[in-house]
Amino acid sequence: MLTLTYRADHKIPVEAEVIAPDHLLGKSSADIAKLSVQHGNAQAALGEFFDVSGDASDAEIRIDGDCSRVKWIGAGMTMGRIRIHGNIGMHLGSEMKGGLIEVDGDAADWVGAEMRGGRIHIRGNAGHLVGAGYRGSRLGMRGGAILVEGKAGSEIASTMRRGLVAIGGETGDFPGVGLIAGSVFLFGTPGLRTAAGMKRGTIALCGVETSLLPTFRFDCVYRPTFLHLYLRQLAAWNFGPALKFEPGLVRRYRGDLVALGKGEVLML
Amino acid sequence: MGWMKIANGTVYDPANGIDGAVMDLWVKDGRMSAPPTEPGVRPDKTINATGLVIMPGGVDMHSHIAGPKVNVARKMRPEDKRKAPVIRRSEFTRSGTTGSVPSTFATGYLYAGMGYTTAFDAAIPPLGARHAHEEFHDTPVIDKGMFVLMGNNHYVMKSIAEKDPAKLQAFAGWLLGAAKAYGIKLVNPGGVEVWKEGGGNIHGLDDEVPAFHVTPRQIIQSLAQTAMDLRLPHPVHIHCNNLGLPGNWRTTLATMQALEGRRAHMTHIQFHSYGGDADDQNTFCSHVPKLADYVNANPNITVDVGQVLFGETTSMTGDGPLGYYLHKVTGRKWFNGDTEMEAGCGIVPITYKDKSFVHSIQWAIGLEWYLLVNDPWRIAMSTDHPNGGSFLAYPEIVQLLMDRTYREEVLKRVPPKVLQHCRLKDMDREYTLNEIAIITRASPARMLGLKHKGHLGPGADADIAIYTPSKDRKAMFEMPRFVIKSGTIVVEQGEVRAELDGVALHVNPQHDAERLPDIKKWFEDCYTIQFANYPVDPHHLPKGSVEVACDRE
Repeated sequence: MLTLTYRADHKIPVEAEVIAPDHLLGKSSADIAKLSVQHGNAQAALGEFFDVSGDASDAEIRIDGDCSRVKWIGAGMTMGRIRIHGNIGMHLGSEMKGGLIEVDGDAADWVGAEMRGGRIHIRGNAGHLVGAGYRGSRLGMRGGAILVEGKAGSEIASTMRRGLVAIGGETGDFPGVGLIAGSVFLFGTPGLRTAAGMKRGTIALCGVETSLLPTFRFDCVYRPTFLHLYLRQLAAWNFGPALKFEPGLVRRYRGDLVALGKGEVLML
Repeated sequence: MGWMKIANGTVYDPANGIDGAVMDLWVKDGRMSAPPTEPGVRPDKTINATGLVIMPGGVDMHSHIAGPKVNVARKMRPEDKRKAPVIRRSEFTRSGTTGSVPSTFATGYLYAGMGYTTAFDAAIPPLGARHAHEEFHDTPVIDKGMFVLMGNNHYVMKSIAEKDPAKLQAFAGWLLGAAKAYGIKLVNPGGVEVWKEGGGNIHGLDDEVPAFHVTPRQIIQSLAQTAMDLRLPHPVHIHCNNLGLPGNWRTTLATMQALEGRRAHMTHIQFHSYGGDADDQNTFCSHVPKLADYVNANPNITVDVGQVLFGETTSMTGDGPLGYYLHKVTGRKWFNGDTEMEAGCGIVPITYKDKSFVHSIQWAIGLEWYLLVNDPWRIAMSTDHPNGGSFLAYPEIVQLLMDRTYREEVLKRVPPKVLQHCRLKDMDREYTLNEIAIITRASPARMLGLKHKGHLGPGADADIAIYTPSKDRKAMFEMPRFVIKSGTIVVEQGEVRAELDGVALHVNPQHDAERLPDIKKWFEDCYTIQFANYPVDPHHLPKGSVEVACDRE
């Protein structure tokens, strides 16, 4: 296992997309320390910010320390595992295609933005735009799973196309805005305008109530089987909020009729 | 600036009848020169060009690189920028972004890095001319010019309806001078105004623009005549009605016939050469042969192609209804612009796919134009950057034209039924280097009436591209060994080596000053800008300008 211990105390962000098993596999700790990262408007060596020990031959990376100013960790990774003990900065797992990222702390904005595969599990809170599409993009997250046990900010799963997002605590405004497809599970109270502009996909409100936009229509009350499968999978991933949740009858609403209108909001 | 000698290169200078001759070239004070007559003159700089290919600097006569619509496209497509390579600041370059619509500084560096030294923006609303010149100011290395949109200008249509050609001529002459522009551009004449009036369009040359009681035929004929009467170096530059619609070849042919022998340049002709039924995509086909026959037989007409290349790009056009049409077809985001008395605009991202039957036919139609126009002096290379593809695709087009085998390889990738809907597979013509030199520099310069561009004769601007010959023509034209602009080496092996500004090329035609009070009154009645504030002041061109004479016969 490769261990990176953050020892810097900078307010200027460090952009370290090199911290991913794909880039570090087969390199010695000395070589890894020499890898280039962006620090403000200058290039710097990774070793200026992190103590490096071990190697990533088993595709496992452990990161210790408060990395809330370190961005792009795990961006584009396709395999392996990153375990972060502490807070982490923006763009964690951006466009990630495979592997696992676990965070015992909080994450900033853009967690798993435009992610294609793999799984990100955050045991603290996350910022805005979890699993979203970057500005101008047609598609957000296109596969994989993002689990946030705490709260999350606004516009989570914005323009998401495929995959699973589960948030344990409250979310900000516009959860699932412009959702194209995929599944969003919210265990805490959502902010304003849930599912605004959704075309397809599922937003499941697990044990919480919210008022929907007038462009959603009540559909039916039923007991869908697939919810149990999802909740069982979340529990298998040890996602805390799902462990104690038992769905009963479900009220189904369809919308958003200002868009394609083939989406569903389920109130469990 | 002293003497520069480029020794022993293989020169392709078609305007001076030089086709691959090994010779020396001399440069003095930024211009091409005859060899020094004084004995003992030693050049200050000698480039050993032994084994290298030398051509005049490239001239792009139809591109979209500055002004309001280009800037909107930059802003509305962050996703296009995010993954594209960036240009980093260096000793000689400012930083910039690329993608389908590069930033200003990047545009200059990228053109120069490919051996191009002159480019024209083809669709500037006169009201946006100041903005365009400000962006030209920040577009280094290359010389720049612009065509201004007049085909839907209210004063133009009013003058035509009043059957007052002298009034139209005075206005057009004043407007070109006021905008520091180079030529007259028609975009979907009359159709953009109908779109702005209520979301419609015009489809026939004799359909009337309701509020002005003029037809596209009248607009085309009047402005073609005006350009000739003003003796502009470049004739009227026409984007026909019905761009992109199946069956539009009839409109294109009718437009060429409507000119009745007047000189005109038909632009991005590829987009206007479609057969088939608008209600049945399977009938979409090429009608290039009929149109090319007409062009071959009528020397008053020149064309540039507007080649489509496969990949992601951005459509930007002064053709407002076309922008909406593309938005409906592609389902992608859309910007619509309305420049009060003058013009419209539409911007939509577009991805040309080689698996798409329609896109593949478009690609083939562009190549058919290159291969079916007999005289290379009547056709210019363009992608209508960025509409058909980036100008950075020119080396790819060179390869497609010079290497039939490569063409056939690409043809294997497209849907098989494309072969039944065009004649490309039967065409075995391959361009020579001399013909490439014609369609990429000599013929556009001649069409534009730029006597000091597109050739290497004494007195011409010392804009020179020097390439390392290779059978891989794409690689050869992507990275020149040297690029010289106004006698200064600006690029070596793809790297910018000097800071250099290009100039703005414009005209200032003579016009009847007695007509100005009427134009002034029009401004005071209708415009959001005062008449006195409208013209582009010379201080907006601090990096130099060249006024090209209006003396074309």
